[in-house]
Amino acid sequence: MIKQIFGKLPRKPSKSLQNDSNGEGGVNNSYYASNSSTTSISKPSSTSSKSSSASGSRVANGTLAPNSMSSNRNTNQGKKPLGGDAVVQAGPFPSSGGVYEALPSFRDVPISEKPNLFIGKLSMCCVVFDFSDPSKNLKEKEIKRQTLLELVDYVASVGFKFNDVSMQELTKMVAVNLFRTFPSANHESKILEIHDMDDEEPSLEPAWPHVQVVYEILLRFVASPMTDAKLAKRYIDHSFVLKLLDLFDSEDQREREYLKTILHRVYGKFMVHRPYIRKAINNIFYRFISETEKHNGIAELLEILGSIINGFALPLKEEHKLFLLRALIPLHKPKCSSVYHQQLSYCIVQFVEKDFKLADTVIRGLLKYWPVTNSSKEVMFLGELEEVLEATQAAEFQRCMVPLSRQIARCLNSSHFQVAERALFLWNNDHIRNLITQNHKVIMPIVFPALERNTRGHWNQAVQSLTINVRKVLCEIDQVLFDECLAKFQVEEVNKTEVKAKRERTWQRLEDLATSKTVVTNEAVLVPRFVSSVNLTTSSSESTGS
Amino acid sequence: MAMVDEPLYPIAVLIDELKNDDIQLRLNSIRRLSTIARALGEERTRKELIPFLSENSDDDDEVLLAMAEELGVFIPFVGGIEFAHVLLPPLESLCTVEETCVREKAVESLCKIGSQMKENDLVESFVPLVKRLAGGEWFAARVSACGIFHVAYQGCTDVLKTELRATYSQLCKDDMPMVRRAAASNLGKFATTVESTFLIAEIMTMFDDLTKDDQDSVRLLAVEGCAALGKLLEPQDCVARILPVIVNFSQDKSWRVRYMVANQLYELCEAVGPDCTRTDLVPAYVRLLRDNEAEVRIAAAGKVTKFCRLLNPELAIQHILPCVKELSSDSSQHVRSALASVIMGMAPILGKDSTIEHLLPIFLSLLKDEFPDVRLNIISKLDQVNQVIGIDLLSQSLLPAIVELAEDRHWRVRLAIIEYVPLLASQLGIGFFDDKLGALCMQWLQDKVYSIREAAANNLKRLAEEFGPEWAMQHLVPQVLDMVNNPHYLHRMMVLRAISLMAPVMGSEITCSKFLPVVVEASKDRVPNIKFNVAKLLQSLIPIVDQSVVDKTIRQCLVDLSEDPDVDVRYFANQALNSIDGSTAAQS
Repeated sequence: MIKQIFGKLPRKPSKSLQNDSNGEGGVNNSYYASNSSTTSISKPSSTSSKSSSASGSRVANGTLAPNSMSSNRNTNQGKKPLGGDAVVQAGPFPSSGGVYEALPSFRDVPISEKPNLFIGKLSMCCVVFDFSDPSKNLKEKEIKRQTLLELVDYVASVGFKFNDVSMQELTKMVAVNLFRTFPSANHESKILEIHDMDDEEPSLEPAWPHVQVVYEILLRFVASPMTDAKLAKRYIDHSFVLKLLDLFDSEDQREREYLKTILHRVYGKFMVHRPYIRKAINNIFYRFISETEKHNGIAELLEILGSIINGFALPLKEEHKLFLLRALIPLHKPKCSSVYHQQLSYCIVQFVEKDFKLADTVIRGLLKYWPVTNSSKEVMFLGELEEVLEATQAAEFQRCMVPLSRQIARCLNSSHFQVAERALFLWNNDHIRNLITQNHKVIMPIVFPALERNTRGHWNQAVQSLTINVRKVLCEIDQVLFDECLAKFQVEEVNKTEVKAKRERTWQRLEDLATSKTVVTNEAVLVPRFVSSVNLTTSSSESTGS
Repeated sequence: MAMVDEPLYPIAVLIDELKNDDIQLRLNSIRRLSTIARALGEERTRKELIPFLSENSDDDDEVLLAMAEELGVFIPFVGGIEFAHVLLPPLESLCTVEETCVREKAVESLCKIGSQMKENDLVESFVPLVKRLAGGEWFAARVSACGIFHVAYQGCTDVLKTELRATYSQLCKDDMPMVRRAAASNLGKFATTVESTFLIAEIMTMFDDLTKDDQDSVRLLAVEGCAALGKLLEPQDCVARILPVIVNFSQDKSWRVRYMVANQLYELCEAVGPDCTRTDLVPAYVRLLRDNEAEVRIAAAGKVTKFCRLLNPELAIQHILPCVKELSSDSSQHVRSALASVIMGMAPILGKDSTIEHLLPIFLSLLKDEFPDVRLNIISKLDQVNQVIGIDLLSQSLLPAIVELAEDRHWRVRLAIIEYVPLLASQLGIGFFDDKLGALCMQWLQDKVYSIREAAANNLKRLAEEFGPEWAMQHLVPQVLDMVNNPHYLHRMMVLRAISLMAPVMGSEITCSKFLPVVVEASKDRVPNIKFNVAKLLQSLIPIVDQSVVDKTIRQCLVDLSEDPDVDVRYFANQALNSIDGSTAAQS
């Protein structure tokens, strides 16, 4: 069958010449060159493309006569050739004359020929197949997969440095196969019932059998000692890195896993790109935080950053501190932050452990984005807070302890028992308990009312008993202050309605004053005054309600 | 009390309140900024309140958001437009905060204030503010700047204008994609204020840069600019500068960009004019209709009618119709649904013969679509086809489709079809309705889902309006009243509901002769819910019927109910009685 097809291929003199040389056992001509020459020839003449498609259809029929010349080559390769229709989307490299055929194995050619064969195989793999229809081009897909696997072995085992051409071709092949825009998410909801289902399965990349191997090649290439970074940076350039980063939005976790490893290697190998990579990652974060709140790869990016931060030299550069302030801390804000919270929290704690002076900045940041209604997120915040506090020294703690204690007091009173419990557990941490003890004069008056309210009536038994323990701890630290707080609490409870009434009165007096003043002054403002006083009545009635 | 006499310092009240731990209190006090300002008077507002607010940009985003909003309407409180400039500093600092909502609100307020400011004030304070923000170190400031250029540009000097254009061009090339996106999305707005000479020379250059951006998020915002800019340019410039960009974008490798083109194509066609639409945009549009990405096809399919309106029927039949045929059997239900929602509108464009020849098969196949939304969308636009080819050709397929939708498992689908019944009735005519749909309308009254029953009752009222009381008397009323003996109290309740809706349409006479006896009978129901609904219903009948009927029948019935053992029944009966007394009192 193989022979049959070759027999019908449009032969150009140059090609048969190469075949002859094949026959002599030396694949001296580069396959890349041969391929490209066929394309360049077949392109202008319409007849040749015609004949190629004809050959494709005949493949299916399988009625073609054998050809001795091609059979020679075929035995060499041991692969099946395929019809020209196979090619769905030819990349920048048109599929040579329409037939997608395997090239000889690396084993079967002399060492001197391997680089050329390498390039030939690379350009073969620039053909991208349509995986949306799994039954299409099965043979061609398998050939490409095999070729890609051979390329993996070659890249992993190559004994000499990659030259310019091979790097260029390799990155081109990678770009053609990997750099794509992802389809929209809500694709496959064909049946109405699916609408009702909440848990969307993350879509898997259909072309994974190819994409995976291409990633593997890229990974081996970047990791290979035979890849000279000084040379390779021309091909793995800013635009390449940027597109690689774009891929992190893939819904396929396997793909993101590869990207993570590869980007990490790129960061390690290409020193020149480091600032650019950091900046590009920042841009992804900024967009995620303030525009879209949708990105699938935040966790993976943070994981890479975690190890990058780990390697930061001390003292920390201003750039890195800004990164903490402007990207990492605001990353606590998006709704979906629980997805990547673990990695984020690791990065944050790394920073504080590197430079303890950052602790109060970080804590204030956490307080700024503290969840209001999302209890499970709140539990995560408390967990992160504990880790940060672990690394916090007294001076920094003192700088933020007032707002911090207020927040903790609010958490203590949470009606979600996990939040209250998690907040109470902070007292189990020796370091944190020490910090609190040292500053109990400030902290106790703030958290005491919350503890007292819990003991009087938190619905959850565990919270109640934990509260009593913490209360006891505070009592032991400073009995006198404790009693004062208790007394003050009781007075405040009594005066609560009074304070509220006083507030109402003050605003009412202000309102009266405002009205009297505007009446005295000009009439030009009459309309806005009327409008705003309407606003006022509504807002004041709201506040009475609350 | 002593504290009432405490002296009152408005600013101190505010400062005190803003220190409170409770965010709700802080929010409330910001919401009352105008009160404080009025209590202070204009001068002290300018000298004390506003500077204090400029310092206070460290609060929760929610508080800052409220502040940004309040400041937008603060001009009267600082002493009118000549003092508007004092409001700029606090808003400027709000333009640089991290939270997007706050920044956007601050920009909005700045635009509001800037557009009222006098020319020399603009030059003196607003333009420098724009320049400061545009040169801001952090992207937040630069993003905000993009949104206020158009306000600053109008009415400032030529020198400054040149400077502003140069600055904007810098923003279009900013290092950060965030800023370039903001520049791209505001370019159209800015361009409307720029003189036409600079439009070609400078704005278009910025536009070209943005369209070549390597981030698709920037490019797709540039698409939006296409239509806006196109409307500003002379037609020939538009063809030369915008058209190639659109054609390019329609083949962009990012589907989001292509989607934007599909969404904007109609506006873009208007901008380039009919000739270029025919020669250049038809092929582009056809490509979009056949795009690989369903989202793009959805957007494109939804514009099919609007687009065809720009073409002559021959072109539409030749180029667009084949795509429409393909789309009608698209693999994505959403594409078919989008198509179904507009395709009926093509009938008037193509005319009677072409509609029958080309569109009718598509209508029919969409009417049989497996996805209810598609069928519903066709039915909802029936009137458009009716005018062109009449309904007869469709009615054969229509009825099964309606019946199937009427019995769909999803109540929302049933609800949607009920909404269209009056439309259907008016289009199909009384005869068709009597035969086929009447039974359905009654069936809905006994649906399992309340919303459907409620909609069904409302439907009866609309039908009565459509066909008149006489027809309703014959075809609706008897069937409804039959239900009053239904063993299920909820169904009996629907009778009351239907009566309350239909009575105003049917008029006094029928209400008294037909409805009232049934209602009075229902007042003796054993279920209290029925009884207090009778009370409510009677109350609503009072204005419809004669006073004599009220006095004779309704009052007696209500008096009986007001002695019911059930408290709710007594309550509503008394309410109704009160309203009788109220209305008689008002009359006398």
